Amino acid sequence: MPDEALEIPVADEDAVLKGALALVSGEVLETMFFSEVIAAECEHGWLESAVAVQVTFDGSHRGEMWLAVGEEAVPELAAAFLGLDPGEAGEIESSQVMLELANILCGSILSSLWPESSLQLDAPKRAPWGCGGKGAWHCCLMLPEGRLAISIRLLEKPEAK
Amino acid sequence: MAYSVLIVDDSPVMRGFIRRVMRLSGFEVGECWEASNGEEALAELAEHPIDVILTDINMPKMNGEELLQRLSEQGTLSKVPALVISTDATKNRILRMLSLGAEGYMTKPFSPESLREELERILGGRNA
Repeated sequence: MPDEALEIPVADEDAVLKGALALVSGEVLETMFFSEVIAAECEHGWLESAVAVQVTFDGSHRGEMWLAVGEEAVPELAAAFLGLDPGEAGEIESSQVMLELANILCGSILSSLWPESSLQLDAPKRAPWGCGGKGAWHCCLMLPEGRLAISIRLLEKPEAK
Repeated sequence: MAYSVLIVDDSPVMRGFIRRVMRLSGFEVGECWEASNGEEALAELAEHPIDVILTDINMPKMNGEELLQRLSEQGTLSKVPALVISTDATKNRILRMLSLGAEGYMTKPFSPESLREELERILGGRNA
């Protein structure tokens, strides 16, 4: 066997990364939000009204992760996380839970993709959905509560002065 | 035996989640104190007898690393076991926190069962 590491062709690498996004997200949502995740076809009309959160990260990799959750799913997921009855989670609590979900997803996905890395995550913040298209790994998921989308984009490191 | 627990996390919803999951797991929780950063945690530790600390890493004012460092410098408090709960599952981070004195490291997501098992291991099976 040759010693060189196998190089994954770019198209396959994209598929592996998208698969990892879906797999890790599914684990997080099932374990901590008691929800069932199904991969969904990308259809982004709902993103305009979605609750979106951005998490930026730096270290051995630099970039940003975006989470969007369909507005109908937000209070349901928040209630599941907080152990409340459906519809009992208030707006502030729901918003805090979405920030926490983005934080957990970002940390789990990055650790899974690059376990040897050294990364620092910034505090998640609400922002209009702003990650898609070229250079972003993306997956859409369907939950019983509604839709969810995740994108990760790596950014170039600023040149040292 | 019920244990006195200190949860340190800057997210109030995460603190609530941990508190709920501990109870769901069957782990016997007595008094449960909360702090939103390392500074507040040290103040709580000075006020109350605590059996185990569950701490996040990334927090404002004083993060989890500094908290562990400060605890290791203090005689009695250095004996209070700390379990780190974080989304960061990278090898470097885990080794760093264990080297600073953490007795255990759990990555999110985690189940109630795994949290209970880890707490029991840290507390020497006294809750079994």
